[in-house]
Amino acid sequence: MKVVAYAALVLLVIPVQITLLDRISIAGIRPDLALVVVCLIGLYGSEVEAVLAGLALGFAQDLFSGGALWGNLCLKPILGLLAGLASRNLVNLTWAFVLALMLGLSLLSGTVMYLLKSFTGPGANFFLAARGIILPQACYDAVLGLAALKLIRLWKPHRSALTALTYE
Amino acid sequence: MISLHSIAGGKRAAVLLLALLIAALLLLPESRQEPLLALGRHMAAAVSVPLRAMEWVNQGLDGFWGRYVALQHVREENFTLRQEIARLRQETVRMRETAVASTRLRDLLELRERLPYPTVSAQVVGRDPSNWYRSLVINRGLQDGLAVDMGVVTPAGIIGRIVKAYDRFAIVLLLIDPNNAVTGLVQRTRDEGIVEGTEKGLARIKYLPLLSTVKVGDQVVTSGLAGGFPRGLPVGTITKIERREAELFLSAEIAPDTDFTKLEEVLVVTSPRESTSLPPMPFPLQPPAKRDAGDAR
Repeated sequence: MKVVAYAALVLLVIPVQITLLDRISIAGIRPDLALVVVCLIGLYGSEVEAVLAGLALGFAQDLFSGGALWGNLCLKPILGLLAGLASRNLVNLTWAFVLALMLGLSLLSGTVMYLLKSFTGPGANFFLAARGIILPQACYDAVLGLAALKLIRLWKPHRSALTALTYE
Repeated sequence: MISLHSIAGGKRAAVLLLALLIAALLLLPESRQEPLLALGRHMAAAVSVPLRAMEWVNQGLDGFWGRYVALQHVREENFTLRQEIARLRQETVRMRETAVASTRLRDLLELRERLPYPTVSAQVVGRDPSNWYRSLVINRGLQDGLAVDMGVVTPAGIIGRIVKAYDRFAIVLLLIDPNNAVTGLVQRTRDEGIVEGTEKGLARIKYLPLLSTVKVGDQVVTSGLAGGFPRGLPVGTITKIERREAELFLSAEIAPDTDFTKLEEVLVVTSPRESTSLPPMPFPLQPPAKRDAGDAR
C-alpha cells in the first residue's frame, strides 16, 4: 500500500512542479516541491523511504530539466537521508525545527546545484546566484514545507515510531 | 310655534339660495373672482399640509408594496440573473481566449507556410522543474519526428533547441540559458559569432571580429552554419557592445525578440537543411542599412 502511495506521489509531484508551480512563482522563483516532499518523507517516514523517494523524484526531475541527468538524482536522496537522520531522535517536531531544517537543506541543495552547474557549464557569480536563486528558493521551500507540515498534521498528527523513537 | 312645513320650506329656500349664489359666482366675470381666489389660495395652503402628509403616506405605502410585498419573486429572479451574468462572463473570457489563441495560431500557421523547411507545431506544457535551467516542456516527441538538437522557433524569432526528447515530450533549452549556444550573425555587418544566454536572462553574441562596425540596434539572425536552425531567423537586437582590452574578439549583449515568459505554441524545425536555397527572408526584418566604410573588408 505504501509503495503504491509513494509511486503515486512520485508520478504526481513532478507534473505539478512542471505545470502548476509556475503560477505561484515569486519574481520568477518557484519552490522545489520535490525537495519539500522528500524532506517531509524523511521527517514523517524513515530514512530508507526518504532515500528511495529522493532517488525516484530526483531522477524524474532531471528527466524534465534542461540540465544533466544526474544532479537531482544524486542530491535528492542525500537530502532525504539528512532529513530522516535529523528527525530520528527528535522528541517534538516543532515548526521552528522544520523551518530551519527545510531552509538549511534547501540552501545546501542550491549551493550544490550551483557547484554542479559551474562545474559542467559556464560559471556564474556565486553571490549573484545566491541572491537570485539560492536564498529566495530556500525561503520559499521552508515556507511551503511548513504549510505542508500543517496540512499533514491535520491528517496524521503523530509520526511513526521508527522515526521518532521517544516521540510521545 | 314653528311648524315642520315651515322648517322644510326654509331649508329648500336656503338650498335654492345657495345654488343661486354659486350660479351667480360662476357667472361673475373672471376679474370679479379675485376675492374668491384669494380666499381659495389660503384654503388651498391650509389643505396642502395634510395633502402632503397623505402623499408621503401614500408614497410610503407604494414603496412598501413595491419593495417588499410585490417583490416576492425577485430573489429567485436575482439569483437567476446572477447565474446568467456569471455564465456570460465565463463565455466572454472563453471567447476572448479563443480570439487570442486564434491570432497566435494564425501567426504560427503563417510562419509555417513561409518557412521552406519541414516543421512540427507543438504546445508548451510546462517549465523547467528547477530554477537553475531555463527550459520548456513541449507536447511533441520522438513519435512526432522530433530529435535532440532540433531548433524551436516562434513567429517572433528563435527560442531554443531540443536537448532531451522522449516519446511524447521534449525538453527545449531556451536561448537565454547560459548552457545554450547557437551560431548567429549580425545582419548588417555579416559578422558571425556564437549566441549564448546570460545569467540576466538575455543573450550575448561572442567572438565577433575586433574590427567589426557592429553597433547598438543591429539585428542578429541565425547563420545556419551549425545547429538546428536555418539561416536568417531573427534572434534579437544588439543593446550593448562590450569591448575589452587585451581581448581578440568583441562581444555584444542581445535583447531577444521573443518574450520567453509568454510562450504557448512553437514550431520545431525538423530538418533545417532540406532546402538547398536560402529562405526568401521569411520575416519582416529590418531593411539593410547603409554599409559603413569599414564593412568593405
